[in-house]
Amino acid sequence: MNITQLPYLKDIYAFLGSDVMSGMVGLLIIAAIVPLNVAFLVLVERKVAGHIQLRPGPMEVGPHGILQTLIDAVKLLGKEMVTPQSTDKLIFFLAPIIVVAPAFVGFVPIPFSPMMQVKDVNVGILLIFAFSSISVISILMAGWSSNNKYSLIGAVRSVAQNVAYEIPLLLATMSVIIMTNTFKMGEIVQAQSSVWFIFYQPLAAMIFFIATTAETNRAPFDLVEAESELVSGFHTEYTGMRFSLFFLAEYTNMVIAAAMFTVLFLGGWYGPLFPGMIWFLIKTYFLIFVVMWARWTYPRIRFDQLMNFAWKVLIPFALVNLLLTAIVLKVV
Amino acid sequence: MLNPKTIDDASIDQRVYQLNLGPQHPSTHGVMHLLVTLDGEVVLKVEPVIGYSHRGHEKMAENRTYEQFLPNPARMDYLSGMIFNHGYCMAVEKLCGIEVPRRAEYIRVITSELNRIASHFIGAMDYAMGLGAITPFLWGWDDREHILDLLEGITSYGRFGGVRNDITREFYDGTRRFIDRLRGRFWDYENLINQNIIFIKRSQDVGVITKEVALDYGVTGPTLRGSGVGYDVRKREPYSAYPEFTFEIPTREAGDCLARYQVRMAEMEQSLNIIEQALDHLPPGPIRAKVPRFVTPPEGDCYCAFESARGAVGFYIVSDGSRIPYRIKVRAPSFSNLFVLTEICPGHFLADVIAIFGSIDVTVPEIDR
Amino acid sequence: MNTPPSTFTQYLTEILTGSKSLVVGLWITLKRLFTRIVTVQYPRQKLTMTPNFRGHIEAIRFDDTKTHHCVACGLCARICPSHVIKVQGGKARAGALKYGHHYYIDFSKCSLCGLCVDFCPKQTLKFSNEYELVFYSRWDTVIDIMSRLEKSR
Repeated sequence: MNITQLPYLKDIYAFLGSDVMSGMVGLLIIAAIVPLNVAFLVLVERKVAGHIQLRPGPMEVGPHGILQTLIDAVKLLGKEMVTPQSTDKLIFFLAPIIVVAPAFVGFVPIPFSPMMQVKDVNVGILLIFAFSSISVISILMAGWSSNNKYSLIGAVRSVAQNVAYEIPLLLATMSVIIMTNTFKMGEIVQAQSSVWFIFYQPLAAMIFFIATTAETNRAPFDLVEAESELVSGFHTEYTGMRFSLFFLAEYTNMVIAAAMFTVLFLGGWYGPLFPGMIWFLIKTYFLIFVVMWARWTYPRIRFDQLMNFAWKVLIPFALVNLLLTAIVLKVV
Repeated sequence: MLNPKTIDDASIDQRVYQLNLGPQHPSTHGVMHLLVTLDGEVVLKVEPVIGYSHRGHEKMAENRTYEQFLPNPARMDYLSGMIFNHGYCMAVEKLCGIEVPRRAEYIRVITSELNRIASHFIGAMDYAMGLGAITPFLWGWDDREHILDLLEGITSYGRFGGVRNDITREFYDGTRRFIDRLRGRFWDYENLINQNIIFIKRSQDVGVITKEVALDYGVTGPTLRGSGVGYDVRKREPYSAYPEFTFEIPTREAGDCLARYQVRMAEMEQSLNIIEQALDHLPPGPIRAKVPRFVTPPEGDCYCAFESARGAVGFYIVSDGSRIPYRIKVRAPSFSNLFVLTEICPGHFLADVIAIFGSIDVTVPEIDR
Repeated sequence: MNTPPSTFTQYLTEILTGSKSLVVGLWITLKRLFTRIVTVQYPRQKLTMTPNFRGHIEAIRFDDTKTHHCVACGLCARICPSHVIKVQGGKARAGALKYGHHYYIDFSKCSLCGLCVDFCPKQTLKFSNEYELVFYSRWDTVIDIMSRLEKSR
């Protein structure tokens, strides 16, 4: 009896090795890793903030506060999910879900190492950009349905900010893509095997970094959730688990943005001693540390200055960079 | 109508709306209610609503003797409590004609100036926090802790005729160490905040108070000195031991939020100079004059002005010859400073209202007493 | 509002000086990241209070009588602005000095002005160093000074 004589077994083995199965396993792994990631990042943020401000951060729960996020999650699960009476019920319910789903999908094309990638999609970079644009509408939904002037102001500001900063983001990415001629993330990393792109394109790297800080609504561009003005912006009316979904989405977006920067400019998994995945994680978390460091150093930019900065400073520089890259590639 | 200026001119589907920067808000300095009328993001009108912290201090003054009223001035403006205490004792001594020994005057000046530095830390750094920079606010509290430790070693409410406790050796050494330490810290604050391009862009030309507007509304303190008028009660109507010290009154011409912030930081340095001079020339002698146990001023009234961290404070005491004052009226600087907001805010953005409100440095319980 | 830069050189210099100030700011925060924290972690580390610290008042133990000198005159109770002191005493026999038996202070309303300490004719009160004052109910804030003096024997 060998394997080809049993028709059902052959089908089962074919199914197990197919793309569908690997995709599902990959998604399950993502669904397990993402909350762990967020838990770790929340703790790191609080510790970094504490030490910059000369205080220790959380210290009570677990040694040096390691279990703090776990207890926070338990607390948030236990809270009552209040729905105010005059909100738009369906949109209020859908907004947190729509803000979280693209964050999960964005992990699919990211190459953690030559072997570890859920699927090397042909248009990997565009996939991530497309899905992160979907979360913009969810912020507007959250702000509108809360029936609260503060939330509406925050949501409207956020939409304008996100739309404006996508343009320099895409232009900076294009400068890298015309060097590599491909959208596949795995091939972009392989093209950096000798020299990382940050040395070829420092200006594009700076623009990309600033634009992703603005896209993920982190300081100094965080007037969407400006604590001293709008209490809490568009997620003022959300309590309990819904609030934690917004939180999860913000930190996951930060990780995806840092991972994209690593892939595009910092050489992905290349590095001397350790295996590829360790280097990828080191580079990604270092970038996240820089974003947090910038948060606790700078004040907030006002809304009109933010738009001025995007349209009058970032976009001209990104366009000039693209032009120079095209000229150099044609000549060299 | 097109371009409505008030909410009554707007029809139901126009963009003018009212926002409550309500009594409970993360960045109002106390329980302060601002009714803001907005057109999109531009402010049309700001109306402060006060009275949420009224505790009746002036009414309490009519039912307590002069000594029993001593805790109250420190609670009116809790950030410059020792300055108010100094001023109240000065007002009663002026009414009764009590002479205060020189050593007590020097000690009062040292504690007042330390309190002024502590209050300016909160005032200036709270402005930075209103803009979004939370870190310097916490560094300011760390520096303030050193001042509060020093003041704890010497303090009590000052009594009429002098102070209660004398300076100890630890206070003297601690203050010297504190002065050196703080002078080294100013560079950090300067480079993190003053030179920062984001901070400059958000504070320059925002909330400009011209000289005429400031004088019309009766603004005093760093808010006035940021608009170019060099009026400080310590120089114009000198009191206590201030004539014996040399210090400058920092002024800036611009009148915007950045100027007021810079005035506060410069005033901290001048206060350090005053404390150093006072410690160098501290005279020996008694620390308290002989006063009767229950002070009984003669009939009459007197007005005594002094400079707190927020502006010129006045105590007007009316006495009818008994141990209980007939009326004590307090002129609080935050009350006059606050209403400048109604004049300068229209035309700015909502984010600027918070910044301007922070830069004027109002303590709400002082408004309501 | 801010005037926008009017020439191209102004635009470029603004960007360059701005970037330099941002980098300097990051350097300052990084330095502070690696300094020691200043927090005193309370239950495990405690600070010592200065001798002039003002906790609630307590009675001084004098050496000649091995106890306080309170004569229950009531001056402290009358001078207190918040009316928190209650004193009672009696005479051991006719012709002797009065002796204070009960002395209660409701600390939740005390404003720590020190007038009672100053006005006492026998100088029998002083400030204590107590700062760990936690109570379960409002009525527990009433402090009995005489029994506190007995317990500290």
